[in-house]
Amino acid sequence: MKKIENFNITGDVAISVKEMNLHYGTFHALKSIYMDFPVNQLTAMIGPSGCGKSTLIKSLNRMNDLIEGCKITGEIKVGDTNIYDKKTDLARLRKNVGMVFQRPNPLAMSVYDNIAYGPRTFGIRSKSDLDGIVEKSLRGAAMWNEVKDRLNKSALGLSGGQQQRLCIARSLAVEPQILLMDEPTSALDPISTGKIEELCTELKKNMTIIMVTHNMQQAFRIADKTAYFLLGEMIEMDDTKVIFSHPKNKKTDDYINGRFG
Amino acid sequence: MAEIMTEEKEKRSFKDIIAAAFTKESFAKGVFTAFAAFSILAVFAIIFYILYDSIPAFREIGFFNFIFGDIWNPKAGEYGILPMILTTLLLTVLSVVIGSVFAIFTAVFIVYYCPKCIKKVYTQMVNLLAGIPSIIYAYFGFEMIKPIIEDMSGRTFGYGILLSMIILSIMILPTIASITKNSLESVPAQYYEGSLALGNTKNQTVFKVMLPAAKNGILAAIILGIGRAVGETMAVQFLLGGAVSYPTDFIIPISSLTSKIAQEFGESGGLHRQALIAVGFILLVFILIINLALWFVKRNNAVAGNSFFTRKIKESDIEHTAPNYKRTGTIQDALRIICYVVAVIVAAALMSIVLYTLIKGLPEVTWHNMFGKSFNSKPTLAPAFVSTSVIILISLAIALPLGIGAAIYLNEYSRRGSKFVSTIRLFIDTLAGVPSILFGLFGYIFFVKLFGSANLLAGSFTIVLMILPTVIRSTEQSLSEVPDSMREASYALGAGKLRTVFVVVLPQALPGIITAIILSIGRIVGESAALIYTAGSSFLMPNSLVSPGSTFAVFMYNLQAEGLDTKFLAYAAGAILIIFVLFLNILIMLLENYFNNKAANRKGKIRTYIDKLRKREAKNEEN
Repeated sequence: MKKIENFNITGDVAISVKEMNLHYGTFHALKSIYMDFPVNQLTAMIGPSGCGKSTLIKSLNRMNDLIEGCKITGEIKVGDTNIYDKKTDLARLRKNVGMVFQRPNPLAMSVYDNIAYGPRTFGIRSKSDLDGIVEKSLRGAAMWNEVKDRLNKSALGLSGGQQQRLCIARSLAVEPQILLMDEPTSALDPISTGKIEELCTELKKNMTIIMVTHNMQQAFRIADKTAYFLLGEMIEMDDTKVIFSHPKNKKTDDYINGRFG
Repeated sequence: MAEIMTEEKEKRSFKDIIAAAFTKESFAKGVFTAFAAFSILAVFAIIFYILYDSIPAFREIGFFNFIFGDIWNPKAGEYGILPMILTTLLLTVLSVVIGSVFAIFTAVFIVYYCPKCIKKVYTQMVNLLAGIPSIIYAYFGFEMIKPIIEDMSGRTFGYGILLSMIILSIMILPTIASITKNSLESVPAQYYEGSLALGNTKNQTVFKVMLPAAKNGILAAIILGIGRAVGETMAVQFLLGGAVSYPTDFIIPISSLTSKIAQEFGESGGLHRQALIAVGFILLVFILIINLALWFVKRNNAVAGNSFFTRKIKESDIEHTAPNYKRTGTIQDALRIICYVVAVIVAAALMSIVLYTLIKGLPEVTWHNMFGKSFNSKPTLAPAFVSTSVIILISLAIALPLGIGAAIYLNEYSRRGSKFVSTIRLFIDTLAGVPSILFGLFGYIFFVKLFGSANLLAGSFTIVLMILPTVIRSTEQSLSEVPDSMREASYALGAGKLRTVFVVVLPQALPGIITAIILSIGRIVGESAALIYTAGSSFLMPNSLVSPGSTFAVFMYNLQAEGLDTKFLAYAAGAILIIFVLFLNILIMLLENYFNNKAANRKGKIRTYIDKLRKREAKNEEN
């Protein structure tokens, strides 16, 4: 069995996107995107609905492959590897670039099996190893104490917020280098949202996080960098503080200050 | 609030209550309730009459001698059915295991691996496999598979469990496959995404996430398959061979519970006949147990994913070392290849059955064979056309109002979660699970005795019970899809419940009712076990509703059973049946497409209607 290697990320850039265009059939969804996502920082992508930010985040671990008629040109590099290369190993890509979805999507298994599902996929069978991974991941997602007594119960019985943190723990279990989060709190109440934001601040110490959010306050609270998208174009990307205080582009200013969207 | 209500109730006089009970609305509600409760009555009647008529046999033979005796020899007065019980169980287990494995792979193929261009055709093909009458499977097994077994094993007769098992697993495959397909399709799509995002391949996702998530539906499908396998009569009667012995070998003539009833009921009398009815009762007990199991599975639809094996996990302080991540999934890749192989085998099985029937039968479909005058010595298929149509017309004329009424009660009048409704549903499901040979026995005991002879009317009444569950379910499904906003709109205009149901709701449920009619016709046309002893078997043209008449399927049965040299007619009948079933399948597909398009266009139509109104207004203004 072939070993699965990590991506070779040296320097400050975890993912770099160059001259990227994306079409759904005849619809030009992303137009000539250039972006660099910094290592071990949280980058937030904001913008009105339909601006292409979710499409972009899904391109970063090729979940867009599932969508029919989706065509991508240009280059997306994780470390020094172009992930749209023909030889790209999807399993390796998705193991190292994890994803958390808008709606919590625990599998119809027990809490334990949900977490162990990823590691098992990659050939880890020993019970003691799995136990260790499950505990570490749940602790990593700050929910070990909540679920340690119900590891054998169905994950579908958890509350929405717990389910979402379980999904984060599930992603952590395969030790990704980068974590993509597609509006992870939009289906949650404020308290659960707060917990997940706290978690993100903790996680970004050793992990690159890229997040799509509809909530500008959220981006302001937790993001190091913020990128503003409009109609399939990346308008502006800068330090969060700069974006929210002195945006260079007028369109960004309009959006941030509520004159649009 | 409650106090006010009770006061008002007290004020109503006895006369008012009587008057209220006889309004049109409450009368209609009463009728619908009665129709719905009819299923309960039917199940009890079947249990009661079959039990009642087998009591003499139990008394005479002794219950334990009957069940545990090993010799069945009616001439010597010995009636032991243990060998048949064991044969039935063995045959069922084998064919369900093979059938469900193939069915599950087929369903996975359809949902996940089938190329888009052939998906519809392939699905229809599996549906067609479900619609082929069992008598055709019987002929196919008898004439195509039996010689192969004889060649390969070198024995004189290829009868037995092996032969029956092969045919039976093909027969139950479509039932299991279509339910498995439905439950796979209802697994939330997020599971798929979630698993892929963790780095799983499609194959790993399908076999490790999607399939386990659908396990409740698959379990229900397998139990339904067991019910079908236990109750199947005609095919196994042709293929088992008819002798009674313990199933010590896969290729020896042998009998199951159902095959024995079908084989000997016609020529039996006295205690022998009572013993056969008692065999039917034992079969009924099996079926009821299976139905209860199904009910439990459906009811205990507990949240999937609770792990039964609880292992305590110690909180560890061990430093976690980076594990060695490796590529896996070869097993799932292999399973995917098996999927394709199974799909090809299933398609090949269907093709060979259809081609066999058509190649044998089409040359015999001549004008004379179809419509010539029929004599006992030289029969033609003309009487079968008449008998089949008569039975379809009469049974639909009764079952449709009854079934639609029951569906209306269940969907429009019943309260959600009421005990009465869940009881009715249980009995409808039970009725749907009763094998046709038991409907035949009941029809014989009840209707044939009522009329004094086996005739078209007795046959039709028996068929009513058989198709009733189909009509109720299909109609109810359609009714439940009618949006509540339509009902509200009607009530808001002051219409009563009855008017709302008949004028607004029922027309919307038309697709379901038409589907029910087509499905019922399919079942009636293919039915033989329930009709042989109730509608009688005759090669002559029926001249009234109370004369005996054979449908195509019964014709095929008689021609084989009586060993006449007129078997060519059976081939012709087979070809006609297959073509008819094919036609019905295509009809259902077209109707589905039509109604789907119509639903999609409905919004558009309303818009054009509004546009028309506007134009007219504009014109009026001009004038």
